[in-house]
Amino acid sequence: MTRKMTTPQAFRALPFRSSEGIATLGIWAVVVLVSGTLFWLLADIFWHGIGQVSWNFLTTEPLNAGREGGIAPILVSTGLIVGVCMAVSIPLGVGTAILLAEFTANESWLGRFVRLSLDTLAGVPSIVFGLFGNAFFCKTLGFGFSILSGGLTLACMVLPILIRSTQEGLRAVPEDYRRSAAALGITRTATLWELLLPAAMPGLMVGLLLGIGRAISETAALIFTSGYVDRMPESIWDSGRALSVHIFDLAMNISGGESNAYGSALILVTTLVMINSTVSWLAERFRKSRILVV
Amino acid sequence: MTYLRTLTPLFLAISCLSLHSCTKPSNSTGATDQPQGKIVLTGSSTIAPLTAEIAKRYEAEHRGVRIDVQSGGSSRGIADARQGTADIGMVSRSLKDNEKDLQAFTVANDGVSVILHKDNPVRQLSDQQIVDIYTKKITNWRAVDGQDAPITVVNKAEGRSTLELFAQYFKLEPKTIQADVVIGDNEQGIKTVAGNPNAIGYVSIGSAEYGTTHGTPIKLLPVKGVEASINNVANGKFPISRPLNLVTKTAPTGLQKEFIEFARSPKVKDIVQQQYFVPPSQ
Repeated sequence: MTRKMTTPQAFRALPFRSSEGIATLGIWAVVVLVSGTLFWLLADIFWHGIGQVSWNFLTTEPLNAGREGGIAPILVSTGLIVGVCMAVSIPLGVGTAILLAEFTANESWLGRFVRLSLDTLAGVPSIVFGLFGNAFFCKTLGFGFSILSGGLTLACMVLPILIRSTQEGLRAVPEDYRRSAAALGITRTATLWELLLPAAMPGLMVGLLLGIGRAISETAALIFTSGYVDRMPESIWDSGRALSVHIFDLAMNISGGESNAYGSALILVTTLVMINSTVSWLAERFRKSRILVV
Repeated sequence: MTYLRTLTPLFLAISCLSLHSCTKPSNSTGATDQPQGKIVLTGSSTIAPLTAEIAKRYEAEHRGVRIDVQSGGSSRGIADARQGTADIGMVSRSLKDNEKDLQAFTVANDGVSVILHKDNPVRQLSDQQIVDIYTKKITNWRAVDGQDAPITVVNKAEGRSTLELFAQYFKLEPKTIQADVVIGDNEQGIKTVAGNPNAIGYVSIGSAEYGTTHGTPIKLLPVKGVEASINNVANGKFPISRPLNLVTKTAPTGLQKEFIEFARSPKVKDIVQQQYFVPPSQ
């Protein structure tokens, strides 16, 4: 077989027969495997969860340790936690990325040091962030078990992802843009707002979506910071249970909590999809509203 | 200026949040004889759902009181109560000798039972057989009149009081236990055994009994001929049982005291039973 392939005729003939067939089969197998796994997972959650989800489920408080009742306070807490996380990490993250990509030379010690720290941070397991958040935000700063502590801990976790991908996005903008802007006498700030940020939007978007995804699905870092209280939070100083903590508790700690765990999981997945589409839409609007549509 | 329009929702959201945080409510002024304020409980994940439910009922009866229940395990309950991070710790076992500086108040009792998959033909195991299985002297079900299949030993994670109680009863050193699977909370143990016909594990009787009455394919093994059931924990016949304790650093005062008394009172008996535990004898 291998001998034959070396002869010109066989070489020409083969790609259209067996080898192409095998390659096609291989590619399809991979596609089916990957999307099949995802589909199976989603179908399982949907199948078990849809029976639980109703308007009532979304708008009432959990009863009997979460076995009965709904998830309204948990949804609100989750929203607040992710909100705090994003409100802190977006300005900090985009700012740092701009500093690194636009105002720091690639080889400078500062740039190298910050990049190295970020990459290390990105690889730290979330439980370590949880313990850090508990020690620093809850105890040292005295925020206690609160949505604020949880959101800030998540911000620490999300920052490396956000900064690195925004920075890559900025780096992908051709150098010509910056030179042309300078030649036209446009200030650096205006260049940044009107030109570089819109052009770097895809990178920022990837970081943002990965960040939100990581934040909303976090359990380990939140159980020690934002806590376990399933009451409706009155402010961000209150402890509030995140959706993923609720699912974990129902599935692993509460006998008979399974069906509501599935219901909550379905809501979590749906929320994630909705947030992702909204963020992409907002980003697209921002990009198109600039002077130069790249 | 179009970007202003785009970013307005975001800024609004941020300012809403920060405004919200400014309005942190100072304790509302109510009747002066009513206890006011907030207390924090941390500790055992076994007790957390129970105290959370008790706390809700207490809050409903006493406006202006907040009781925050956090999870994390008995060791954490001890540490937080000692350091004063929590007003009350939750510990799902009796206090050890080196923990006698704390004060314990039993709110419920629970037993620990060995569980097998429903399809496992083994009906009972002697204490010695269980010890041998957990130290890997017996590794096949054939040795204890079961099928020819390797035994999957499911153990609790270090620091869990279920593990401590189990090890204490069978006089096992936690370090000599050789586990194939290490689990955290009770439901995880039940799921692991329900999913593996050759597994053996041990969990809180309350959760296990809930599982068997709701169709989970597991069974509870008797200990020394005593059937593992909530009733036998209640009447004191079942040998492996534990108190679920609230602990405080010093003698409880004020709200702390009020809540502990409430949690031990017959007013919450139905909640204790609803969470598959045994109310303390009055």
